[in-house]
Amino acid sequence: MISRRAVLQAVGLWLAGLALGRIGWSAEEQQEFEIRMRSDPGGAHVVFDPIGLLVSPGQRVRWVNDGHNVHSTTAYHPDNLWHPLRIPAAAEPWDSGYLINPGDSFEVRFTVEGVYDYYCTPHEAAGMVGRIIVLGSGKNDSASFKPYPDDAGNPAWKKIPQAALANFPTVESILKGGD
Amino acid sequence: MKKLLTIGVALLALVAVACAGSMKAPPDASYKKVSELVPLPEFLPGMGTLYVQPATLPVGPFLAYDRDGMLVSTIYMVPMEEMQQYKNFTGLAVGSDQVRKVDLTYNAGHPGVEAPHYHVTIWHVDPATAKVK
Repeated sequence: MISRRAVLQAVGLWLAGLALGRIGWSAEEQQEFEIRMRSDPGGAHVVFDPIGLLVSPGQRVRWVNDGHNVHSTTAYHPDNLWHPLRIPAAAEPWDSGYLINPGDSFEVRFTVEGVYDYYCTPHEAAGMVGRIIVLGSGKNDSASFKPYPDDAGNPAWKKIPQAALANFPTVESILKGGD
Repeated sequence: MKKLLTIGVALLALVAVACAGSMKAPPDASYKKVSELVPLPEFLPGMGTLYVQPATLPVGPFLAYDRDGMLVSTIYMVPMEEMQQYKNFTGLAVGSDQVRKVDLTYNAGHPGVEAPHYHVTIWHVDPATAKVK
């Protein structure tokens, strides 16, 4: 029989995992990487896991809804309801639409190097955002990636909620590739 | 006197039948199924099948029905931002005047109410026995 303390510890660890926001790293030979769209059963805590990811040009990323909630993966781009541009100008924006059921997924292949910021449509205000860096092999130069300004200055673009701005992992932490 | 008592009992019985009827889904036609208004599953574990009058969004009331189609709760969804602006919400309708428990729970957002908010759940039945798993 599982003790009450063990259950509480397990829940605590799970919530800690949600709060911390893991950084992921895609090995060279891996062609596809998975990001889980997570939520607790009550819908109070939501997160992309890992929240930061380093991939190589040509690799694919697949977002999967872990259940318990409805999510989207949506690039910061003016095409997506006038959100500010926070992906390379030469890259194609994406919007999965709502992923409603457990296991629903959406995939993007990244070819243009740079920093890609994205959000979850129903949870952007709650800070559910993520960052992907696409970088060719052998490079590891964080200086070449300038961070996006918090306010892009274009009055036509939406302002990013403070909770979202606070949650982007730094470029340096993603390039280090550590958890 | 006897006649009056008989009429009274008959009226009470009629009221009881009317209340029982209103406890079954669907509610009156002004309420729409939430899953038909926004992209959400029809049955939400922990809550049930929700109905709302679109004009009352985002606060509601949302009427929640269990797997047997019985009314189990009335839910209000109050955005944090509106609470921080000290906005008042008064005179809100309820699905039933029976109240067993009240829950206030934080929610990070979902289609229809895409901002952090609180669910204020007025349980009309014991939540432990509601068929909303």
